[in-house]
Amino acid sequence: MNKNATGKEKTAGYIYYVARISALLLVFLIFFPAFNPAKICGYVNKNMSLFTTGISYSGLVEQCTRAFNMGWVQESSFVLLFISSMVTCIGIAATAAMGCMSLGNVKLKRLGNWFGIGGGIASLLGLGGIYLAYSQVAQTIKPDKVMPGYPLQNNIIFFVIAALALVSSVAVQILLPKAEKDAKYEMESKFKLFLMFLPFALLIFLFSYLPLYGWRYAFYDYTSGGTLSSENFVGFRWFASVFQNAATRDDIVRVLRNTLAMSGLGIATSWCAMAFAIFLSEIKTPWVRRFVQTFTTIPNFISWVLVYAIAFAIFASDGFISSMFVNAGIWSEGVNMLQSGSHMWLKMLAWGMWKGIGWSAIIYIAGISGIDQQLYEAATVDGAGRFQKMWHITVPGLISTYMVLLLMSIAGILSNGMDQYLAFYNSNNIDTIEVLDLYVYRAGLVNGSISFSTMVGMVKSVISVILLFAANGISKLVRGESIV
Amino acid sequence: MAKTAQEKLDAKAEKRYNKTHKRQYKLTPGDIVFNILNYTFFIVFTLCCLFPFYYLFINTISDNNLVSRGMVNFIPRGIHLSNYTNLVKSSEILQAFLVSIGRTLIGTALMVLASAFIGYVVTKQQMWHRKFWYRFLVITMYFNAGTIPWYLNMSMLGLTNNFMAYIIPGIVAPYNIILVKTYIESIPGELEESAFMDGAGYMTIFRHIIWPLCKPILATIAIFGAVGHWNSFTDSLILMQNAPQLYTLQHRLYLYLNTTTNLAALMQSGGGNLEGVMQSALNAKTIKYTISMVSIIPILLVYPFMQRYFEKGIMLGAVKG
Repeated sequence: MNKNATGKEKTAGYIYYVARISALLLVFLIFFPAFNPAKICGYVNKNMSLFTTGISYSGLVEQCTRAFNMGWVQESSFVLLFISSMVTCIGIAATAAMGCMSLGNVKLKRLGNWFGIGGGIASLLGLGGIYLAYSQVAQTIKPDKVMPGYPLQNNIIFFVIAALALVSSVAVQILLPKAEKDAKYEMESKFKLFLMFLPFALLIFLFSYLPLYGWRYAFYDYTSGGTLSSENFVGFRWFASVFQNAATRDDIVRVLRNTLAMSGLGIATSWCAMAFAIFLSEIKTPWVRRFVQTFTTIPNFISWVLVYAIAFAIFASDGFISSMFVNAGIWSEGVNMLQSGSHMWLKMLAWGMWKGIGWSAIIYIAGISGIDQQLYEAATVDGAGRFQKMWHITVPGLISTYMVLLLMSIAGILSNGMDQYLAFYNSNNIDTIEVLDLYVYRAGLVNGSISFSTMVGMVKSVISVILLFAANGISKLVRGESIV
Repeated sequence: MAKTAQEKLDAKAEKRYNKTHKRQYKLTPGDIVFNILNYTFFIVFTLCCLFPFYYLFINTISDNNLVSRGMVNFIPRGIHLSNYTNLVKSSEILQAFLVSIGRTLIGTALMVLASAFIGYVVTKQQMWHRKFWYRFLVITMYFNAGTIPWYLNMSMLGLTNNFMAYIIPGIVAPYNIILVKTYIESIPGELEESAFMDGAGYMTIFRHIIWPLCKPILATIAIFGAVGHWNSFTDSLILMQNAPQLYTLQHRLYLYLNTTTNLAALMQSGGGNLEGVMQSALNAKTIKYTISMVSIIPILLVYPFMQRYFEKGIMLGAVKG
């Protein structure tokens, strides 16, 4: 605020806080289905927010086809509902623009206030339109099917906040002095930069922070398409079920064993990439080294589905190995080696190595080229052999990189991803291949126990973060440097 | 540039020195054994990495009868391209291919633009509460809510069965932003200051100074982003449950590999031509291989360009933001 601002301007400054907070609240609320004021009948999906209602007509009328055909509700009511929601959303966007412009100079503020006034009016009109649509839908001949119901509470919330934004815009417009004629639209650079970042902050919030709000499902007995209410609130029952229910407990133990075993094998063999790099650097023919490096890196860039496709081409009953043996007369018919469930952990480790070792070695290769050549020369003069040089010069030169990667992989011990296991799993090997991520996916999205798998995923996330901080703490303690 | 006579002489002398110098070290028998083992290991391993691709490829271009009898193992026989031309006739595959290409191009372009822009904005010390917003961004790399909350969130935002689900969540990529930010910080600040003195705004500076200077790092993140988009299939699997027309190529391939019913449907849906050529159940093998090859080829095509950049990228990644 300007230091020698008049009383009026000071008051305007306080009113702006109200306007900005209202704008921010409105912007957040339009993304929450629980606060959707457009949920006027049973056909509007309960998981739709005002934002989705306002941008996707096809999503809005997804379940309405039968109702339209039977004449239970008029399609025009839904068009009205859609347009009203859209107008509300546009109004809220304009209100948000007002909030942003209020950070500028007087001239920009005055322009912003017009946005605020227009936006406020538009939002209120939109809410009126929603009420109109409701009153049309309410006259349906089949109330038991259509289930009309006006979300009064949500509408009041939106109405009050939008009205607040409107009133405060009008108030500041009256309070603020007229800008000088030749003034330009200006804003301090700190706010300019902030506003440039703001849209992305919104994206980050929507896709990284908002999912955390979904953790509440872990405390309810939720079935797909249902609602969360005090009736199906179960507290910590899902958490307890891991210890109380024998079948669940066995499942979790099995899945954890697979997860830890496969991550553990990966960690235990993580030095292989370093060895790969060290031995590769012993190849003194440049083109051979280049050739090896180029082609061992390719598998890293194909997806796990394609790795599976390759496994299929080599090991399936009509694949390379089977046709070789069958043509040679050793086997009478092809064998699908991918079906068998034996030694799954080792097989998965082998595929992981095949895909990743060339890539993981790159960072060590770069590390080796950074080691001072004089060290090797000095060692040669002192009569050190090849392996002594590797062990006493190269390995110590790479060990700090290795330790960082090792700590990171220990922190990620529970998250071995699901792509690989999803691609390779089948009914024969599921017992030994199913890792935590795959289990969560299958329990939640294939078998439909949304609440239970949310709980498992939530516990996993929390433990992972704790492990990461622990790894970071160890790194700070030992190396004096943090890894995150 | 022409070398001076002295430089030429020096180079010659150096070469001669190197030759004699090398001869001083005789390979011991131990060295020879080591070299043989080392070369053998690396060449065999490289062949293991290469052969599957080659095997897939020769099987897609060889005579389908020989392929189905397992007769094509090392050399292609009866070369033809009809597997590829027939595949184009299947609308299912073509659509999946277009979806994959579309998401890769649009998604990568937006991600690169956003990363460059955010990377630039967060280097500006005068930004309002810069530290807080930067942490707000970076911290998202270290936690995630889990698959189910993510899915519920996406469906709440209307991003299920919607092409935008491939694009919008990937726009802000914290790791890439850190790479760009680190890179921008290495650019001398005077360049920007002088432009600022001349009255250029942030946008102008970004467009005319930062963007051109950042091209190497942007190429790096573009390549990683594109490969990520092309390869990702769990988002298609989880989010597009009711929109088969939006499946990615990887997802289609996954379905064909796992279920024969899908494959049978494909053989019937492909119209007269496809049915004619691929009616035999044994030819399922060729179709699977051809689709795999179609998914691999784009990666192999951009790989030579990638190679220049990814080594740089991985080293920059080791420097944290």
